[in-house]
Amino acid sequence: MKKTLCFSILLLLLSTLLAACNSGEEQSANADGKVEIDFFHRWPNEPRKSFYDEKVKEYMEQNPDVHINVDYVLNDAYKEKVRVLVSSDELPDIFTAWSDSFAENLVSSERIMPLNEVIQEDEEWSTKIIDSQFGGFTFDDTTYGVPFTVDGKAFFYNKAAFEENNIEIPKTYDELIAALDKLQSAGYEQPLVEGLTNTWAISHYLGTIFERVVDPAVLEKDYNEETAEFTDQGYIQGLEMFEELTGYMGDVSTAIDHEAARNMFAAGEVPVLYMQFAEIKMVEEAGDVEFGFFDFPEVEGAAGDPTALTGAPEGWMVSKNAPEETIDFLKFLTSEETAAEFTKTDGQLNAIEGAVTEENVNPTSLEAYELITNASSTAPWFDNAVNINVADVFMRGGQSLATGQATPEDILKEAQQEAANQK
Amino acid sequence: MIARRNRMIPALFILPSLLFLGIFIYIPLVQNFYNSFFDFSVFSPTKEYVGFSAFEQLFADKVVMTAFINNIKYAIISVIFQVAFALVLATILEDKLFRRIAPMLRIIYFIPVMISISVIALLFNFIYNPQMGLLNSFLELVGLESLALPWLGNATTSIYAVIAMSQWQSIGFITMLFIVAIQKIPKELYEAANIDGAGKIRQFFNITVPQVKEALFVNMLITITGAMLVFNEPYILTNGGPGTSSMTLSVYMYQQGFFKDNMGYASAVATLIFVVTAIFALIQIKVSGTGKDE
Repeated sequence: MKKTLCFSILLLLLSTLLAACNSGEEQSANADGKVEIDFFHRWPNEPRKSFYDEKVKEYMEQNPDVHINVDYVLNDAYKEKVRVLVSSDELPDIFTAWSDSFAENLVSSERIMPLNEVIQEDEEWSTKIIDSQFGGFTFDDTTYGVPFTVDGKAFFYNKAAFEENNIEIPKTYDELIAALDKLQSAGYEQPLVEGLTNTWAISHYLGTIFERVVDPAVLEKDYNEETAEFTDQGYIQGLEMFEELTGYMGDVSTAIDHEAARNMFAAGEVPVLYMQFAEIKMVEEAGDVEFGFFDFPEVEGAAGDPTALTGAPEGWMVSKNAPEETIDFLKFLTSEETAAEFTKTDGQLNAIEGAVTEENVNPTSLEAYELITNASSTAPWFDNAVNINVADVFMRGGQSLATGQATPEDILKEAQQEAANQK
Repeated sequence: MIARRNRMIPALFILPSLLFLGIFIYIPLVQNFYNSFFDFSVFSPTKEYVGFSAFEQLFADKVVMTAFINNIKYAIISVIFQVAFALVLATILEDKLFRRIAPMLRIIYFIPVMISISVIALLFNFIYNPQMGLLNSFLELVGLESLALPWLGNATTSIYAVIAMSQWQSIGFITMLFIVAIQKIPKELYEAANIDGAGKIRQFFNITVPQVKEALFVNMLITITGAMLVFNEPYILTNGGPGTSSMTLSVYMYQQGFFKDNMGYASAVATLIFVVTAIFALIQIKVSGTGKDE
């Protein structure tokens, strides 16, 4: 009796152990012999969801021996999910990634496939991709991602509102403030708006402001985790500027998201919005305002780069354990044909040469495209550029600034502490 | 041999549940405690031993304090509304006067419990919306524009807006538990009280409350530990913002772990949550002295 008991306990324990070992191994070929590729992107919203669904279908028709499983979640949730997936064996075979520190973090897991050979082998494909956009995916001379979309951020303004009130396009920060004041006195309760519940939107503002007011050499030092200090007084000035700008956004800004802010701009309720070029088409579809854009104006007397463009490419990464066919699918996704069609459907610009032309984008976007490809220097999004712990201090701090719960000095002090913790 | 066999059989019966509890609860608990002594990220397989530094950081962390205070607010308000008010509600529903419509009202109160929390959060996002939200529109309609606020975007109101949603959702559940407890009270007690001339309020305090003491205790335990662990509501509605004004311990733990990659520190926060809930549960068990009076 005792023996059977011991045996049954042992059996139970063993079976759980076995079950644990069993999962997570090989799943690249399914029952009917097809190769399975797990494809993970971050656009459950239209038009991209349908676009990628279409493309996947098209690819599977061309390659009947491949089956692609698509999965998607939205922006912030995507960041979190990828972070969790990369720490396990469940990493999808091909997935979207931002550049710079986001990419670097993923690469440090050692689960991402280096693509140098793939790029060298097929020059017909790889030379079509604008060279400068590879930078954010290259670490120690090894490239881990293929850039696809390019982007930048600028102030968009309602042309009619500016004309009615005789406002010139601001060339300096002071002129911008003067313009906002003028709009406010002309009856716009909120001349500027932003959805501050999206912390990334705050990081975009702060990133650009810091580019303008802080010496590039200092920025480079502080953006590097090893040498970050955040002691420059320029940061205080930058945070004060952000605080000043949130003063024009009204009470609602901390309770709405960026999409709501964009819709307010598109409806003509708010005359100025800081947004990405990728959103041009969405504004056009949501409303009928006529709009133009201007770069974040220079800050007089500040040490920063007055013309640096904030914006970074997004691209595709491949898991180290991905089946060979994934590379072919990657090339399919970044081919000139796909890219041209993508920009036509979505409006976002891409890094594939010859895929952005007068035929598939509107003049405003084309102007933006030239600005991006010709920019003297491009700065990555702030939350991708610095360590996420430090970025979070600034992003939450930005919300606190807008609600009056913190001062620029508090935030900078916290950031300094956080930067010291990271060493 | 027979005596031995008899002792073994009960052990065998509880073995499966023990095994599951062990694998899914106790081992992770110990492992979490162990992890809190290390500094590591989800990206790297190596862990660095840092001793008690995560705990030192924990007690110096202002956000932990904010989060803890928010959890306490959550607990106090939940006890008032979900336990005290739900008991009153249950008594009213069980009263003779409401016999007719009580079943319908019970269903109405219980419906929110059956709706997914994500759906409710989305719904309340619309209610709280500063531009077209129901709440502000209602306030404007009755001439209280001055009270209209961006509820979720204001640092002082955000946590209360989140708490309010939870009350709306959970009150039906607790009411249902009380209704069951009240139905078990022998009717003779009320009849005797009636003959003695006790009014409804007197009956409530002298019969209903003492008779549902056990249920009261269980419901308090559910609400308070629930309030200490609350995650979904603040995470979906505000993600702890604006700033850190509506942060709760669980949201902070999640953000430290999966957003900022400080797995060790997140484990320390998790340990704190466990200790706090354990202390609350122990106090309650001690104070109520449950299980003795039956």
